[in-house]
Amino acid sequence: MPRLDRLPPLNRNNLLMLPVQVNDTAPFTRLARPLSESRLAIVTTAGLHRRDDRPFGPGDQGYRVIPAATPSADIVQSHTSLGFDRVPTMRDLNISFPIDRLREVVARGELGGVAPSHYSFMGALRDLQHIQGETGPEVGRRLRDEGVDAVLITPT
Amino acid sequence: MLARALEAKGLATTSISMVREHTEKVKPPRALFVPFPFGHALGRPDDPALQHRVFRAALDLLAEPAGPVLRDFPDDAEPGVEPPAPTQASAITPAATIPEDPALETAQMRQYHEQWLARSGGRTAFGLSGVPATRFRGVVRFLQAFAAGEDMEMDERPAEVPLPNLIRYCADDWKALYYEARLAMKPGVTGDDVTRWFWSETAAGQVLRRVGKRLEASDDPRWKAAAFGVAR
Repeated sequence: MPRLDRLPPLNRNNLLMLPVQVNDTAPFTRLARPLSESRLAIVTTAGLHRRDDRPFGPGDQGYRVIPAATPSADIVQSHTSLGFDRVPTMRDLNISFPIDRLREVVARGELGGVAPSHYSFMGALRDLQHIQGETGPEVGRRLRDEGVDAVLITPT
Repeated sequence: MLARALEAKGLATTSISMVREHTEKVKPPRALFVPFPFGHALGRPDDPALQHRVFRAALDLLAEPAGPVLRDFPDDAEPGVEPPAPTQASAITPAATIPEDPALETAQMRQYHEQWLARSGGRTAFGLSGVPATRFRGVVRFLQAFAAGEDMEMDERPAEVPLPNLIRYCADDWKALYYEARLAMKPGVTGDDVTRWFWSETAAGQVLRRVGKRLEASDDPRWKAAAFGVAR
């Protein structure tokens, strides 16, 4: 995003007033093998999902699975906040879900492989307790079971 | 926050951050702050070279031996033409002359939208309401009546979807149809151009302003929340 000092005051204040968790430290997992041997999944908070899947509703702390082979034409976005421009995603899904870039990086041998499934959450949520305690760890377990080493998290 | 939950399960995560001030507080294990406008996490649409630079910079953080790490993506990549956050309807003045019939206008937009679909290989943001474009006329009538203050129910509403949610999905589909039609008409326009055109020159934009006002006037927080997403 733009640096906050370049935003109109209303946007800036809305953002600064959002409840944000404050932490002193972070959990840390070292990458177990070189990038060129690691399998990467994308987890996005852009509210994307398969066209025939259930759209995200307000405050929805669930997640949706996007199988890696899903064609871009079958992906829609039900995170449609007026706080971000939807035109870039209409033009190019990679702007928030860089699936083509991921495939290209794997083809160049810089990454070991693409995960079988990517995952999606709703963005701009105020209450994150259920994600923190339930659905976040659940997606973590699923990714581990799917042999994933590393995750790229992308917003809108 | 999500990054922390995944990391705790034994995954190495790297995140793209849009709001540096928030990321500094939450402290995900590894994050790349990007200076792009909201909606542009990877830089610019249809610019694979820039997207690869961002992607690679995020991947490079995975090699860090300890964290949390918050790195800035170089400033010089900032796209200059889009505003940092979208212009809202309330800041856009309606044009002096606007088409009178939203249904007729929608039918015209559908023709351009067909061009969009042909060009995009079927990729479209349209489709949240579940009502196909061929029957969207009914949605337009519904939104017009709602905007006029009538008590409306939509025949096609699934039982598990509350009315304000469905209104939101219908409004989003209507916008998607118009936005993508406009992109087919004028491929070179910026996102901000499309937003300004929609709220100033289209009948649909004026109906959605009124839909937003009616939702906003409700005492029900779910209606107010929907208003915040339809027009503000």
